[in-house]
Amino acid sequence: MTFVRTPITRSLLLLALATFALAPLLMLIATSLARGWFYPVVVPSGIDGSAWQELFTDTAHRSALLNSLILGVATALTATACALPLGRAAAGSTRVVRRAVALLAFTAVALPPVVLGVGLQLTVLTLGLGGTLFGVFLSHLVPALGYLTLVFLGVFTRWDPRLEEAAATLGATGRMRWRMVVLPLLRRPIAEALALGFLVSWAQVALTLLVGGGAVQTLPLDVLAMLQSGQDQRAAAGALALTIPALIVLSASRIVARNTSAVVA
Amino acid sequence: MSTALDVRNLCVLFGGAGRTEVAGQSVSRYTFEDPTIADMLRRLPGYHVGLVDISFTVNRGDCLAVLGVSGSGKSSLLRTLAGLQPTIRGTVLVNGADVSSQPPERRGVVYLHQEPVLFPHLSVLENVAFPMTVRGVNKQTAMHRGVEWLQRLQVGGVMGFFPESLSGGQRHRVALARALCADPAVLLLDEPLASLDPAVRRDVREALQEARAASGAAMVLVTHDLDDALAVATHITSVERFGRLSAPALAAEILEQPPSLETARVLGVYAEFDGEVCASPSGNLFRWIGGSVSAPLVAVGGAVACVRSHEVQLHRGNQLDVPALTVTSLRDGARDAVLTVRHSLGEEATLRVGSGTSVGVGEVVQVTLRHARIFPSPLS
Repeated sequence: MTFVRTPITRSLLLLALATFALAPLLMLIATSLARGWFYPVVVPSGIDGSAWQELFTDTAHRSALLNSLILGVATALTATACALPLGRAAAGSTRVVRRAVALLAFTAVALPPVVLGVGLQLTVLTLGLGGTLFGVFLSHLVPALGYLTLVFLGVFTRWDPRLEEAAATLGATGRMRWRMVVLPLLRRPIAEALALGFLVSWAQVALTLLVGGGAVQTLPLDVLAMLQSGQDQRAAAGALALTIPALIVLSASRIVARNTSAVVA
Repeated sequence: MSTALDVRNLCVLFGGAGRTEVAGQSVSRYTFEDPTIADMLRRLPGYHVGLVDISFTVNRGDCLAVLGVSGSGKSSLLRTLAGLQPTIRGTVLVNGADVSSQPPERRGVVYLHQEPVLFPHLSVLENVAFPMTVRGVNKQTAMHRGVEWLQRLQVGGVMGFFPESLSGGQRHRVALARALCADPAVLLLDEPLASLDPAVRRDVREALQEARAASGAAMVLVTHDLDDALAVATHITSVERFGRLSAPALAAEILEQPPSLETARVLGVYAEFDGEVCASPSGNLFRWIGGSVSAPLVAVGGAVACVRSHEVQLHRGNQLDVPALTVTSLRDGARDAVLTVRHSLGEEATLRVGSGTSVGVGEVVQVTLRHARIFPSPLS
């Protein structure tokens, strides 16, 4: 693979990567702001911000946005709160238990969304929660918990237990050890887990559609509906709006993670 | 001087899967010979009995070095004393109070790992003040006390640094300062000098000596290195076969007369010669290929003599009553020279003498043992 090391090849590969990553985003930005831009017109006739305005003023859109935010935050907090102790307990267990937990967590992540969605739909319907926000939240929790359990399992497998031992013999009680040693050192993985949990829910389409049954509208479903009905400009604005919280959450997690030790990173 | 640490009949467990040997002896011996132990062990899956009937005391300001080969259970002993691993029998008294069932934070015992474990998210000063902080001491007092200990251990200049930027010696000193800031009744040191290069080793030894002098805490140091033990400890004991400790003795005394052949072997500073103890009109004598020495307290039979290098004298003389030995090999080291000598009848012995010896291979010498510790042979 020595050809990869030449400056020209490297530049070309970088350009290709940038094109693949940025072209869809640039296209969305252009479409969301373009007036009268239909094939085969190359350049739009003008700039129009009405799609953005509607996105934030239309009641249905705002409700969908709010649902997405509620689901994202609730999923992130709940999945992190469950996955952290689960990952810690599993990492400290026997290899068989560790593997079993990892396998279960991986199953939740690796199952095709439709398979998972149908299974969850039947479960949630049985519980009488079909078409409710809480039912959708429970369904989002499944893949989020899978991802985050894998994250914390990895973190605690590399965790140095001597830190807590040292704190204990220096006089720190169990609660103090958590507050003064464990949690500060886990700031980075916790921030990243919260971000990941939020994003798993934020971008969820299949599970919301199957479990929510159309009664629970979220921003991704809204974007999908606009696209299907030919409202390209509004769909583009909605799609871009989907990326904004994702970017904010990722940036926030990076900032929180700054100055955090690499002990468990 | 008051007793700070009093350990009575402690049973030390080895944890973890696959650990089935203790100092070369099958642990099943302990597991099954005592039904009470076997019964209690069933409640602690994955644990095996390592050391048994461990009893010793350490006074305030004293340091007991526990010598032993790797895997003999030295670290497990410290972890048990610190409350970091369970035990099934025995009592640990700290300043007269039974702490056997107390969690680590309530024992008044600080355990220092082999590699200094500093909290990476705290500055050096915050690390050192940590024990005061967890006790609710106000921040200013805690920091003031931390600065004092850092300065005493000559690392005051790094108090604003984070652990990752410290050198190996500084990390050890900071960990020691933090331990002393906890004002412990007992300080447990788990091979703090192992795996250090000579310069850092000297530095940390000095720090330990300073710590012992300054704190007044009772210290237990585990090590496999006699030099480390002699540099820091006031008393020495060693882990022997069947998972027991030898009786602690003053460092100089134990070197002069180790209580057993096993202890002598753990100390690692003696050359051993095989021979036998015979009765004679003037009392029992130990005979070996180089001659004989008095052994009044050893029973007749196979025996082993342990001799330090400075206690062996080589002569090129020709005394009639001393056998002549031929030097067959010589390996000169920085401290000692190891040479093999052969009797005319073919028997050989390995001697350890001071380095830079003037004898050479092929020379005929006579050997005088100025002092020899004679033990019954383990084979007899």
